[in-house]
Amino acid sequence: MKQANFSKLALKALLVRLRNPLNMSNENTLLSIKDLHASVEEKNILKGLNLDIKPGEVHAIMGPNGAGKSTTGYVLSGRDGYEVDSGSATLDGEDLLEMEVEDRARAGLFLAFQYPVEIPGVSNLEFLKVAVDAQREARGEEALTSAEFLKIAKEACKQVNLPVSFLKRGVNEGFSGGEKKRNEIMQMILLQPKLCILDETDSGLDIDAMQVVANGVNSQRSPERSFIVVTHYQRLLDYIKPDFVHVLADGKIVKSGDASLAKELEAQGYSWLQAEPTEDELED
Amino acid sequence: MTEQIDKALAREYEAGFVSAVESETFEPGLDEDVIRRISEVKGEPEWMLEWRLNAFRVWQEMEEPDWAHVSYPKIDYQAVSYYSAPKSMKDKPKSLDEVDPELLRTYEKLGIPLVEQQMLAGVAVDAVFDSVSVVTTFREKLEEAGVIFCPISEALHKYPDLVKKYIGSVVPTKDNYFAALNCAVFTDGSFVYIPKGTRCPMELSTYFRINEQNTGQFERTLIIADEGSYVSYLEGCTAPQRDENQLHAAVVELVALDDAEIKYSTVQNWYPGDEEGKGGIYNFVTKRGVCHTNAKISWTQVETGSAVTWKYPSCVLKGDNSVGEFYSVALTRGRQQADTGTKMIHIGKNTKSTIISKGISAGKSNNSYRGLVRMNPGAEGARNFTQCDSLLIGDQCGAHTFPYVESRNPSAIVEHEATTSKVSDDQMFLCRQRGVDPEKAVSMIVNGFCKEVFKELPMEFAVEAGKLLEISLEGSVG
Amino acid sequence: MSEWLQQAIARADSIQDGFEDQRATSLALLKDIKWPTRKTEAWKYTPLRAVERSAAIFKEESPELEPVAVEGLEFLELTFVDGQLVSLPEDLPEGLTIEMQESSLFAEIKPERHVFGLVNDVLAADVAVVTVAEGVAIEQLLRINNLLSNGAQGHIRVIVDIKAGASLKVVENAEGQGASLTTAYTEYQIGAEATLEHYRFALQAADNVAIGGCHFKLLESASLNSSIIGFGSDLQRIDTDIIHAGEKADAKLNAIYLLDGKELFDLHANVEHAVPNCTTEENIRGIAGDSSRAVFNGRIHIHRDAQKTLAELNNRNLLMSDKAEINTKPELEIYADDVRCAHGATIAEIDKKALYYLQTRGVSRSQAQLMLSFGFINELIDQMPTAELAEWVRPIIRDRFSQMEVK
Repeated sequence: MKQANFSKLALKALLVRLRNPLNMSNENTLLSIKDLHASVEEKNILKGLNLDIKPGEVHAIMGPNGAGKSTTGYVLSGRDGYEVDSGSATLDGEDLLEMEVEDRARAGLFLAFQYPVEIPGVSNLEFLKVAVDAQREARGEEALTSAEFLKIAKEACKQVNLPVSFLKRGVNEGFSGGEKKRNEIMQMILLQPKLCILDETDSGLDIDAMQVVANGVNSQRSPERSFIVVTHYQRLLDYIKPDFVHVLADGKIVKSGDASLAKELEAQGYSWLQAEPTEDELED
Repeated sequence: MTEQIDKALAREYEAGFVSAVESETFEPGLDEDVIRRISEVKGEPEWMLEWRLNAFRVWQEMEEPDWAHVSYPKIDYQAVSYYSAPKSMKDKPKSLDEVDPELLRTYEKLGIPLVEQQMLAGVAVDAVFDSVSVVTTFREKLEEAGVIFCPISEALHKYPDLVKKYIGSVVPTKDNYFAALNCAVFTDGSFVYIPKGTRCPMELSTYFRINEQNTGQFERTLIIADEGSYVSYLEGCTAPQRDENQLHAAVVELVALDDAEIKYSTVQNWYPGDEEGKGGIYNFVTKRGVCHTNAKISWTQVETGSAVTWKYPSCVLKGDNSVGEFYSVALTRGRQQADTGTKMIHIGKNTKSTIISKGISAGKSNNSYRGLVRMNPGAEGARNFTQCDSLLIGDQCGAHTFPYVESRNPSAIVEHEATTSKVSDDQMFLCRQRGVDPEKAVSMIVNGFCKEVFKELPMEFAVEAGKLLEISLEGSVG
Repeated sequence: MSEWLQQAIARADSIQDGFEDQRATSLALLKDIKWPTRKTEAWKYTPLRAVERSAAIFKEESPELEPVAVEGLEFLELTFVDGQLVSLPEDLPEGLTIEMQESSLFAEIKPERHVFGLVNDVLAADVAVVTVAEGVAIEQLLRINNLLSNGAQGHIRVIVDIKAGASLKVVENAEGQGASLTTAYTEYQIGAEATLEHYRFALQAADNVAIGGCHFKLLESASLNSSIIGFGSDLQRIDTDIIHAGEKADAKLNAIYLLDGKELFDLHANVEHAVPNCTTEENIRGIAGDSSRAVFNGRIHIHRDAQKTLAELNNRNLLMSDKAEINTKPELEIYADDVRCAHGATIAEIDKKALYYLQTRGVSRSQAQLMLSFGFINELIDQMPTAELAEWVRPIIRDRFSQMEVK
């Protein structure tokens, strides 16, 4: 069974490659990462990352701690201290890496943080209104009136089960871990990005909270919107079904497959990444 | 990151223009003759002149203070002109139509139209230009309620008994070097009297403008809230952009009689000097209020201007159950120095005070909170809570906290807390990742930091204050 | 200038011991100094009348005095009586040396240059220099005794140099018989990765005048744990200076003051963060009863380069009488942005809710007050690393509480 499974996967991966060859840009590709090398404090973390994502696809990136999962999100969103050494990344054909952080956001890239920071005294509502206004302006749309905005903000709260009163509280100020994560998804719903990167959104959540978060995410799936779901564990993928699963190890994608790869990983763990191939695998 | 933040805070000084107004200005210099001339120009009663001369003698005996964390070149008091007034004001215009249109334009440019139809509804303004009051609006409406709101020079003629009773009663002549100087040479300022049981029907505000070169501004404000009355008062200040330093030494006295409440708000935006510290106003101000039984005085200040600020709006909580409050935001950048805070003197039983101070330092500036909370032996059951927070932006500035806490009553409770923080890279990253401009992000974070204070400002001005920190952020980013 | 200071200067001028040159700088500064008044910030709440009035003299002959015994502990004793060194410990452990300087001014590090630091510079007769060799851990506690006979004046200075990786435990113990006056300064250099466990007990009360301080200089990754316990007297003033001179140094200071009668106690604690990545934690608790006066000044100064500093100061006070007073001034001076600094100060009376709770359990009101005040202090005593010292000082503090008039 296992063997058959792997060969099917390999075939599928090959087909994906054929449809979307590495060195050719494809109009239909939303995000295209090519041979990306990046470092933090002069330590190489990403060592030749390749990834293409089409509109509407959900990609899961899994891998052991220290593989570079979170770094991928930070590099793509342009966080200070994350240096790109070589390679490229484009969103809708535009060079992401040349853009300022806020311009990447306005181009449609959204990062849901693993540890959302608190901003005391700045209300969620005020913060989101400014962010939404900035994005609408970038898209050449009229700013929403306060009343219109409040309406959609309340709606978004409902979708992630956050009491409306949270809009008046300081950004993440005094929120529990689960509330912070729901707040991230609420922001995603309001900002309507093209590409969402969920960085270990499941960490620290119990099953119920995870379901709420997953429902929020699923409600936002559409043929235009793509997701990168970064996670250490498979369980989140029971709720957010990925089209592709990639295993990131030592700064590169070492294996790609469909949702069943996540199950394999769950059973096997990541130890095989370091270990020598078994005889079984060699025969295969 | 820090560079970005600092750039975001850098702003044009929008009030830095000079008005082309012909003025009558005294020659620089200070002696008894100058004081006699000020008194004469104002047509003051004899007792006032004597009071001034006495203060002058006291001042001459005093030593200029040498503050530990503030430095500025020595002021040559003989190089300052102590009186300057637009010539057009000599004939004392009876109505707005008679006021020099250039003066009206000046205030309009500053966003303070003096024509009542254009004004913020519900705010009466006394506009002080250099040494004189130009106009006081909505006077009739206020008179109907029995409220007196007029230049103090006018009050000396119309209400000499009230002035004589209260002037110097809160800040005595000898209080400090700059207060003594003010007593000798003060030129104008506002006088407010709220009768018993009256709630002042509108916000009162004074707008101070320094225009003439080499003049000092020495205004004096006296507010008396009679028993059971309420008033909310706001002052704003601006000055042209000049390379020389100019001296502003004001005195504000508040008297809240039994059950009265005074809310005093300041938005101080005197010219701060340039990036290198050239020019700017020396803002040495003494502000103090006395609370009688059950009375309340609340000071709110937003200090963004001046090269050097030295002021401690204080409350003497004399009456039982009286309440003192101090809410402050002080933003310094460039080479500005701010040394500000408050004194809460608890004398009566069950007196309460709250101090919330937010200091933001950027550039090469220094920002200090200096405060005193004193529980006298009679302050049975008194309470104080103090919170001082500093926000540092960049590693070239300084943020300091010097609280003096003295207690002589075992049933009094004093709590003081101070913290320091910075605009964190994480906060900036989160805002920018959501598509917010770095400039807007800084102003949002800084405004959030100041929120507890802004919410104390009268509505119209809270918006202004927020903008003042933000102003700024537009136009300065290339 | 006060008459007292003039006499001190005259005495210093008259000393002929071959060390005049070394004394000259301090002496010149002293001759120029302004005698502190209430307008002098460092002495705002502490008048020097007790010094001015003091009739304490330099004795030619001093009686034999023994320091107090502490059950369960054998100290290495370094004992001064009336400012003269009278005994050095015999059989020093390997790696520990104590040398005498015949005069002062051999110190490389000095207490802050205030007037009594200078007085000490020129009048300390015997200066002891304690050295712990590199990497040596001295288990036995070294006790520095500053004993004063009735009416005597004495000035002592001890310099302690703990070399890299070494460790030492020091107890500073002052005992005055009455009407005495002393200045006592100790200077510690704590080398890289060295540790110092430190105690200063100033438990003499009454009409003694005691002014002095501890100066700690911490090199890289050095660690200091200091506990100061003081009663007031006619005048009791302690200045502690902690200088973080090497990265990753860590300092902890706990201090307690407990005042009765007309006592005055003044603690100035100054911390200089001169380099990055150091930590400081200070917990200061005080109780003022009767008509005593407590003064605390806690300054934390973060220098321009001292990024990533963590510094916290917490000062809590109980005021037990309507004739007593407490004056506290925690100060922050910060010139670096990436730091976490906070201070807090409270003055209050005993928690009424806790008092009520104890009373509902049948404890008398005065007993309950005693329990709660003792608990307030005891939290810090519990943190003293050497248990025998905690056991020794606890009953002394309990005694003092029972004497204090509790309202």
